[in-house]
Amino acid sequence: MYIEHITLTHYRNYPSLTLEFDPKVNVIIGENAQGKTNLMEAIYVLAFTKSYRTSKDKELVMWDESYAKIEGTVFKRNYHIPMEMQFQSKGKTAKLNHLEQKRLSHYIGALNVVMFAPEDLNLVKGSPQVRRRFIDMEIGQVKPVYIYHLGQYQKILKQRNHLLKDLQRRKTTDITMLEVLTDQLITHASEILIRRFLFLDLLLKWARPIHQGITQNKETLTIDYDTSIEVEKTAPIETIKQIYQETFKHNQQKEIDRGTTLYGPHRDDLIFYVNGRNVQTFGSQGQQRTTALSLKLAEIELIKNEVGEYPVLLLDDVLSELDRHRQSHLLNTIKDKVQTFVTTTSVNDIEHQTIQTATIFHVDNGQVICEERREH
Amino acid sequence: MYYPEPISKLIDSFTKLPGIGPKTAVRLAFFVLNMKEDDVLDFAKALVNAKRELTHCSVCGHITDQDPCQICSDHTRDDALICVVQDPKDVIAMEKMREFNGRYHVLHGAISPMDGIGPEDINVPDLIKRLKDDKVEELILATNPNVEGEATAMYISRLVKPSGIKITRIAHGLPMGGDLEYADEVTLSKALEGRREL
Ligand SMILES: Nc1ncnc2c1ncn2[C@@H]1O[C@H](COP(=O)(O)OP(=O)(O)O)[C@@H](O)[C@H]1O
Ligand SMILES: [Mg+2]
Ligand SMILES: [Zn+2]
Repeated sequence: MYIEHITLTHYRNYPSLTLEFDPKVNVIIGENAQGKTNLMEAIYVLAFTKSYRTSKDKELVMWDESYAKIEGTVFKRNYHIPMEMQFQSKGKTAKLNHLEQKRLSHYIGALNVVMFAPEDLNLVKGSPQVRRRFIDMEIGQVKPVYIYHLGQYQKILKQRNHLLKDLQRRKTTDITMLEVLTDQLITHASEILIRRFLFLDLLLKWARPIHQGITQNKETLTIDYDTSIEVEKTAPIETIKQIYQETFKHNQQKEIDRGTTLYGPHRDDLIFYVNGRNVQTFGSQGQQRTTALSLKLAEIELIKNEVGEYPVLLLDDVLSELDRHRQSHLLNTIKDKVQTFVTTTSVNDIEHQTIQTATIFHVDNGQVICEERREH
Repeated sequence: MYYPEPISKLIDSFTKLPGIGPKTAVRLAFFVLNMKEDDVLDFAKALVNAKRELTHCSVCGHITDQDPCQICSDHTRDDALICVVQDPKDVIAMEKMREFNGRYHVLHGAISPMDGIGPEDINVPDLIKRLKDDKVEELILATNPNVEGEATAMYISRLVKPSGIKITRIAHGLPMGGDLEYADEVTLSKALEGRREL
């Protein structure tokens, strides 16, 4: 799939902008603070309905304007699919084929995007939240029902934590309500967990050979899912539910004493091993970056396998962060098959054939000029 | 923009209604200025009377101008069935489809610890009392199909289960995460047919 065009209205520092994109490589060049990341972010928001940079939608609206709009068409399975996101003070609306979609899970997944930004180099080293967001985003765009379970889970979790606080402070003694919320929580926790197990299994299948390729067969990658409960990764959903039931029952008083939910997918984490050693604690910066890169490249293949088409790849300021060897590995992977957006302050940072034949855009303070295609 | 005070107040009142933004409020206010005086008076009276003359039925909690309400005092209705809903609007939606001939119980909300709403705050104790001295055989839980509505249904189900009364939950055809009042009559009547036992 690829994005044919995008139109921004009052989005960040873009008052009004329409761009036609290259189905292959698009390079966005500009000085700092001119709007390169804003452009990448707009594509990301069009796919996921929210930004990765902020949780406040308001920040996406150009200062002193009342709304922001992102429109685009995606070419996918021979269809031109119009998509639209609009943000205003009352909230946001998502449209697919010009029709408003009330539920996120009906919208997300229409455009698949894999993003690789300097923050992602932190995937291994960063906090557990970073890794949970990574799996949640990736599963969500391949299996939309996952977004539904995640949304329900978060709502119930909030209610349950409030009730546990009330019980802790003896504002209530209603254990029946706690049991009800526990049952509800478990329903969605199990659906989330079983999908995470499946996803990680698939991801590792793709990531391992890629990782071996980058390290010239010197390193073997393993991923472990660290759960707050003791469960086999191949367990059927009924077993997972039962284990959650027992865990919550067994630890009821402990949870009341602490006033918060201590078990469930929101407490889980990923652990990466290279040649059997924990990369987070023992890996060099280079090994951590290679791991992050392998995972991102694996995602591209995984989505292609699950959805039938390659996703769009966003590389924000990341090429210059990688050494020549990792750069060329990345560029060889995307070559001619993945629509890619690359930002940089100077093309000279990047020497590769893929880039040389790309369409170049110059960004200058919210204005974008497309460079005439160079003849070869 | 400057408006004389009577208009500003009218605009302000309209903005308090759901779904009406500042622009629509201005339009409505100016429309009222052009209405016949009699119509405006009737309108104002209707607003005040709706508020003053309506109370909640002491049996089921539905809004009514007589106590007990028409539904509760209708002897042709089936005492064996009680349908539990969150809102008076849900009773009206159910009544419109004319397929349900039992009684109602209106909770006026759903349990939500986050908002400080517990079972005692939503008419659950009254429901339990009603079940004690009545000939009730089946309780249909038609709370909204969102997280709080589900939790409320599960909670009531746990309380009532020991009494042996059959408990069913409206299940199918309703949009997940949607509110009952938005469901059209066809999906609602399907939902009633497909209720599952809890
Ligand atoms: N809501 C907004 N309205 C107007 N300008 C904004 C808004 N949010 C960010 N900006 C501007 O966008 C610029 C940053 O753009 P960015 O895409 O992050 O730069 P870069 O080209 O370095 O990636 C800054 O000049 C900032 O002031
Ligand atoms: Mg940037
Ligand atoms: Zn009544």
